[in-house]
Parts: sequence; C-alpha cells; structure tokens
Amino acid sequence: MYMTLSRKKWREGTLLIPILLFLCVFFLIPLAGLLLRSLTEPSFGLQNFEQLLATSTYVQVLSNTFLVATLVTVISLVLGFPLAWCITLMPNGWGRWLLGVILLSMWTSLLARTYSWLVLLQTSGVINKTLMAIGIIDEPITMVHNLTGVIIGMSYIMIPFVVLPLQACMSAIDPMVLQAASICGAPARTVFFRIFLPLCKPGLFSGALMVFVMSLGYYVTPALLGGVENMMLPEFIVQQIQTFLNWGLASASAALLIILTIVMFYFYLKVQTDSPVSTNTGA
Amino acid sequence: MMMNTIRGAIIAAACCAGVTQGYAQESVNFVSWGGSTQDAQKEAWATPFTGKTGIKVIQDGPTDYGKLKAMVESGNVQWDIVDVEVDFAYRAAKEGLLEPLDFSIIDKSNIDPRFVSDYGIGSFYFSFVLAYNMGKISGQPAGWSALFDTETFPGKRALYKWPSPGVIELALLADGVSESDLYPLDLDRAFKKLDTIKKDIIWWGGGAQSQQLLASGEVSMGQFWNGRMFALQEDGIPVGVSWEQNLVMSDFLVIPKGAKNKDAAMKFLAYSTSAQGQADFAELTAFSPINKESDSMISEDLMAFMPTTYADDQVSLDYKYWAEHGPDIAKSWNEWLLK
Repeated sequence: MYMTLSRKKWREGTLLIPILLFLCVFFLIPLAGLLLRSLTEPSFGLQNFEQLLATSTYVQVLSNTFLVATLVTVISLVLGFPLAWCITLMPNGWGRWLLGVILLSMWTSLLARTYSWLVLLQTSGVINKTLMAIGIIDEPITMVHNLTGVIIGMSYIMIPFVVLPLQACMSAIDPMVLQAASICGAPARTVFFRIFLPLCKPGLFSGALMVFVMSLGYYVTPALLGGVENMMLPEFIVQQIQTFLNWGLASASAALLIILTIVMFYFYLKVQTDSPVSTNTGA
Repeated sequence: MMMNTIRGAIIAAACCAGVTQGYAQESVNFVSWGGSTQDAQKEAWATPFTGKTGIKVIQDGPTDYGKLKAMVESGNVQWDIVDVEVDFAYRAAKEGLLEPLDFSIIDKSNIDPRFVSDYGIGSFYFSFVLAYNMGKISGQPAGWSALFDTETFPGKRALYKWPSPGVIELALLADGVSESDLYPLDLDRAFKKLDTIKKDIIWWGGGAQSQQLLASGEVSMGQFWNGRMFALQEDGIPVGVSWEQNLVMSDFLVIPKGAKNKDAAMKFLAYSTSAQGQADFAELTAFSPINKESDSMISEDLMAFMPTTYADDQVSLDYKYWAEHGPDIAKSWNEWLLK
C-alpha cells in the first residue's frame, strides 16, 4: 500500500520535471549569474558588500526599504481584512462582483494607476482642492513626493494581494463555529479574537508575506510618488545598473535583499507552520 | 505520400524565397527613447534614409543602458544604432562597449566639435532652461539665481533627479561661480547652495513628469528640457522660459560593439547628422541641430525656441568630466539627498 502510494507520488513528481528545467534554465541560472557578479566585478572579493554595508547612505536606503515594506504590509492588512470579511458576508453573487472589481483594478496598467494617484494627491489635486473648498484646511497638505505618497499608492496596489488569500480563507470558515461560540456565551469581542482571528491566521500570514516581499522590490510607484529622500533599494539598483553600469554594486544590493528576504522567510516558517500558499483553515 | 512531398517542396520553396528576400533588403535596428522624439527621428531620418538607400530601418526601444551592456557582453547584439545621453556615450566608450565611428563615411567637417567623439556623434542638442508657470510667478525670473530666490518667486522647484550633468552646475552658477571655473566641480559648495531650497525641491525623472509638474502648478519654477517647454507652450499653457545661463546637453548616437549591421549603421549616421537630416529633425522637435549647416535651413518662427539662438547665454557642460567622475559624484549626491 505504502509502496504504491509513494511510487504514484513519485510518478506525479516526474511531471514536474519540465517546469523545473524551465525554471532552472530561465530563472535559477541567470539569477546565480547575476549574484556572482557581486563577487567578481570589478575584481574578485567582497568589496561590493563591504562598500554597501560600510556606507551609511546605502544602509539608510536599505532601512528605508524595510520601513516602507513594513508600513505597507500593516496598512494593507488593516484595510484588507474588513474588505475580505465584507466580501465573504455579501449575499451570493454580490461578493463575486466585488471581488471582480478588485481583480479589475489589478488588471489596469500600474503606471496609469500610479499617475492617477498623482493627480488626486498633488497640492493642486482633487483632494486638496475639495478639502480647501469645504474649508477643512487653509493650505494644501503635501501628500505626494514623500513617504505618505509612497505608502498610499503602494497600499492601494497591494490590498488585493491581502484580500484574495484572506477571502479564500474566510469563506472556508464554518459559520457554525462562530455561532457555537456565541451560544456558549462568548461576547462578540471574544468570538472575534479567540475564534475568528485564529481561523483567519493562514490567510493573514500568506497575504502579509506576499505583500511584504513584493513591496521590498517595488520600483515604479515609489519612483513616481516618492521623494528622493526616501529612496528605496530597487531605485538605487536601477541607478547603479542604468546610469553607472556598476553591476557589481547593484548585484550586491540585490543579493543582500534576497538574503534578508530568505532569512525573514525562515522566521516566518518558524512562526507559521502551515504552508504559506495553502488556504486551509489550519484546523 | 505524394501530397506530403509536394507540400514539403512548397514549404521549402517559400522558405528560400523568404530568405533571399531578407538577404536582398539590408536593415538596421534603430533604438531611441520612444514618444514624440523617436517619432520625429523616424520621420526626419529613417523614412528618407530608406527611400534613398533601400536600407530598412526597424524602430526599437526604449534605450536601456543595462540592456546595451548585456547585449555587448553576451555577444548577441540586436541593436545597431542607439540614442544615448552624452555622458553615457563617453562612459560606455571607456568601458569598451562601442564601435569606433568610421569618419570616411560620416562627414564630421560641419559638426559642432562639442558633439562628436571617436565613438559617438550628436543626435541633437538641447538645453536645461529655467522655466516657470506664469500663473504662479509674477515678474520675469532670469538666470539660475532666481531658482534659489524663494522669497521673490515663491513656490516649489522642479529639478532633474538623476545624478547627471546639470543640477550641480546650476547651483554653482547661482552661487556666483563663473563659467570658466565650474570644473572640477566643488560638490560641497553646490550641496550647500542646494540645501537652501532642499525642502522646496520636487525631483522629476522623466519629461512627461516634468511637464505635468509645471503645467499643474505643483511647482512654480524649475530646471527643464527646452523641447518639453516648447511642447507646453504649443499647447497654450502659460509657461515662461529664461535662456540666461542655459545648460547645453546633448544626445549621442552610438553603435554598440559587435552590432550586426555596422556598415548600414554608419550610413544611417551619415544621413542623420547631415544638414538636411538635422534640420528636418529640428523642425519637428525644437531640439537644436548639431550640424552647423542646418541653422540656415530652419524656419524663423522656430528659431526663437531653439538653444542655437541663445548661443551667447549658453554654458557648456563638461560631459567628459562626468563620464569619469560620475560614480563618485553620485555617491556624494545620494549621501546629500538622504541626509
């Protein structure tokens, strides 16, 4: 019995060979080649990493990157959670429509969406003009070309990536469980924190992980909505690759980002033992 | 069986025909920045060039320095002619990424010597000018010192984001450094001057963004490419331009090392830098011709918008200095930005 099962599994595994080969040739090998440059350009050694970590500017760029990714993740979760719950609770059909709207926003060009935020947020933009017309503010608020702009723009783009796994997770929760808790006398707060939230954990974690990792490598939105004083690592890498052809330093930055991400992923797996991509409720 | 043989023969014949046809027609890949600039390059250079020589010009883009380097390193060079910024042209030449130009085919006798080197020749030249939104600024600011005078001319300032020739020089000029003493650049002095308006600066990374900033009134004044300001004025937006101390920049056309159609590319450069080619391109864009013979061929109305007309106010940037010291300047630049 065991033999046949494992053999079956193995045979299914062989079906993966084409895609593994594809990934190896078109992803792993080029990636390794790129990362090797960090050690070989301009000469063999760790000088690129040394330069990165010894220069306070570069360290600041790195910490900016993590700060923005953290803020965006937290905000996307806070806004995405009620949205996902809302979609789950909607009567049949309506929830799917709402999900459709969210998906539609993901299919629209990223550049167009980012520019739209610029139009809305700038000092002569729609939001500032409206607020001033109503008399809430006297002077326009600076909401773009700084950290605020980056956070608003990126959170907006990232929310679907929280909502999708979270909604899948929530819809799998048996409402009877929540009902049972209430019947047993738990107040709404307790039901939420002790029953509902733990059941949503896998969705929350996978959404957060996805958003965090994607935010670390985000380029267009910070470049357009941010100010240079909050430069993030991707922009620094583009500058080194494009303008100065300094691929050694750029590769070292990329390698550093990948290593830090892997370390964090390791800790994530320690905390969250379920598969980060599965949507089962962990029950 | 018979059917298969016939079908095979037809396919083989069709393939041969395709190949011979491809052979008969020479072609070059031309790469530029896209948008209205590349459209104009196509109209002014590619179309008449194909008509004259029969060499097909395939448009590609946008220019990507990283891609160029990767192509040359891998030995599989898809691009034959690339429009690049001048400081990059010098840097790439130093790194051995470019083919030397053949001046027996390209005539450089009438080319302004500022815009030709062994490895690249001007595509066009333009100026960084001081421009302002007339709805936001009263009076007529002139020269880079006005940019730093936020009391007389209130509002945000737009400056070019990348550490390339321009911002450092204009800060030094505004601080009273004379044109002849600009190089070597006194970075500390420039940053100190820029510190006085640092909180008012909004950085732009591309032409469309710069136009959006000024037209919307998000900034009242800034450092812009003259061609982009010409386009705004054409659209009826109240934009004023001061040509005093305009900073001359240029784009170069280069041939990546190992380009497959090198000979055709040289012929293309000969045409694009000819008096006619340069004049036609200028008419479409208000970017200045690098061929001195072209000036007389351009309509008078347009001349008012072209750097050529303001030659006495020009400050030429030292591209070679930037090609050499660019990475070091960028390091201090980033340090200053993040401070």
